[in-house]
Amino acid sequence: MTDKVELEIKGLNFYYSGDIHALKNINLTIHNKSVTALIGPSGCGKTTLLRCFNRMHDLYPKHRYEGEIMFQDSNLLANGNDLIKLRSRIGMVFQRPTPFPMSIFDNVAYGLKLKGIKKKSDLAERVEKALKHAALWDEVKNKLTASAYDLSGGQQQRLVIARALAVEPEVLLFDEPTSALDPISTSKIEDLVMQLKKDITIIIVTHNMQQAARISDWTGFLMLGELIEFGTTERIFTAPSEKLTEDYVTGRFG
Amino acid sequence: MNHEAKRKIEGFIALLLSTMAALVGLFWLVFILGDVLVHGIGAMHMSLFTNDPAPAGVEGGGLRNAFLGHLIITGFATLIGVPIGVLGGTFLAEYARGRWISRVISILADIMVSVPSIIVGTFIYALMVRPVGHFSGWAGAAALSIIMIPVVLRTTEDMLSLVPWTLREAAFALGSPYYKVIIQVVYRGAATGIFTGILLSIARVAGETAPLLFTAFNNSFFSYNMNGPMPSLTVSVFQYAMGPYNDWHAQAWAASLVITLFILFITITGRLLIKWRYKQ
Repeated sequence: MTDKVELEIKGLNFYYSGDIHALKNINLTIHNKSVTALIGPSGCGKTTLLRCFNRMHDLYPKHRYEGEIMFQDSNLLANGNDLIKLRSRIGMVFQRPTPFPMSIFDNVAYGLKLKGIKKKSDLAERVEKALKHAALWDEVKNKLTASAYDLSGGQQQRLVIARALAVEPEVLLFDEPTSALDPISTSKIEDLVMQLKKDITIIIVTHNMQQAARISDWTGFLMLGELIEFGTTERIFTAPSEKLTEDYVTGRFG
Repeated sequence: MNHEAKRKIEGFIALLLSTMAALVGLFWLVFILGDVLVHGIGAMHMSLFTNDPAPAGVEGGGLRNAFLGHLIITGFATLIGVPIGVLGGTFLAEYARGRWISRVISILADIMVSVPSIIVGTFIYALMVRPVGHFSGWAGAAALSIIMIPVVLRTTEDMLSLVPWTLREAAFALGSPYYKVIIQVVYRGAATGIFTGILLSIARVAGETAPLLFTAFNNSFFSYNMNGPMPSLTVSVFQYAMGPYNDWHAQAWAASLVITLFILFITITGRLLIKWRYKQ
């Protein structure tokens, strides 16, 4: 964990189509090479916030951002920002595994090919590196040409992480990455997240408070679109300053 | 009578009626297929595939020209209809997803599927035959492709809609532009389904007669010329079956059998593909 700032969110408001005010004046600092967990009851806006960082909302009509998210001296919410480039710097892993209907190798090579890497030896080298990074290499090294659908759910999720890692992003967003997985696969993903923070910045949305406590350095608690409290995970879980936070982390609601 | 006995009798009656209905349907199906098979096999002869028609009233001859013409017309109809259908379906399911225009085109395509094919034939007649003053293979292919397009369009739309939206988001999240998401991820996910739809649409037009009557018409001679009238199996069957000669009738039976088996083959392939896809 360093004190270097990776992302600085200033006065962020977000509206879905129909002027639904989903995020209200969020101010938050994401630290470089750390794990930040976003927790809160369903519908609190934690996934909405996560999807601002890679501008996923831009796929849908009539959304509106207000405020700034500074990502290394430039506002990533600025109009005309190159989203394709942004998304190769800020990757995302979804709730359910999303392997593409192609081989294990081609899945991991997908983002690399998008970046214009064509040489077979380069691709093979970076696919292997990414699969090793995602702790999946030993399980798939003998069946790289097999369909990604032949893998188990937990393996698929690690494959998707490898696919995101292959393009060497600076930030990786996780949207409840273990909610569809069994406990053993979950603990493998959690170990992996803790490994990855040596190299990249991680933001994870989770419903599971024990998970947030186990793997994150920083925690933000959201409710009804507002950031109620933000601080080190240790403080949020042991000595929260807000009554709402305390009620939530002790399981009194949510 | 107690309640249980009454329910048993009702159940028996329902079973009896539905079994009878199924048997009546099956009877005609087997009867037609059996009739075509018996008459067709009896008339099957190599000369059917190797010879062109003999002059009217003369014994012998075959339908080589009609087999070839049928393949050419159906082939060009596929070449015209499939790209338009697939791209149109892609527009509906991807670029216009959820918009009113997508709903409207979808409903129009559904109506088009059930438009009598002879209307398509007369439409093309007015558009492509009358203005130039003669029948042509191109007009036949165009008529068949118009019948194919809504079928391919709707299957493509449905199959693309079945691909989970999160798969597209995952590709976007890697920095992929939309056209690459569609070509590299969505089409792959829907490939079997779309291919099945294409096969079934070919089966749908391969047995059509009405749209060819006014467009490709027929031709007793061997012809590659798509700008002139072109022979087809279905129209030949129609004319031979109406004709006065026993030899013509026999050839019509044989040709009917060949078309039926061809369509059966395509349909079964399509069905197997669907089964294989959903087993995965």
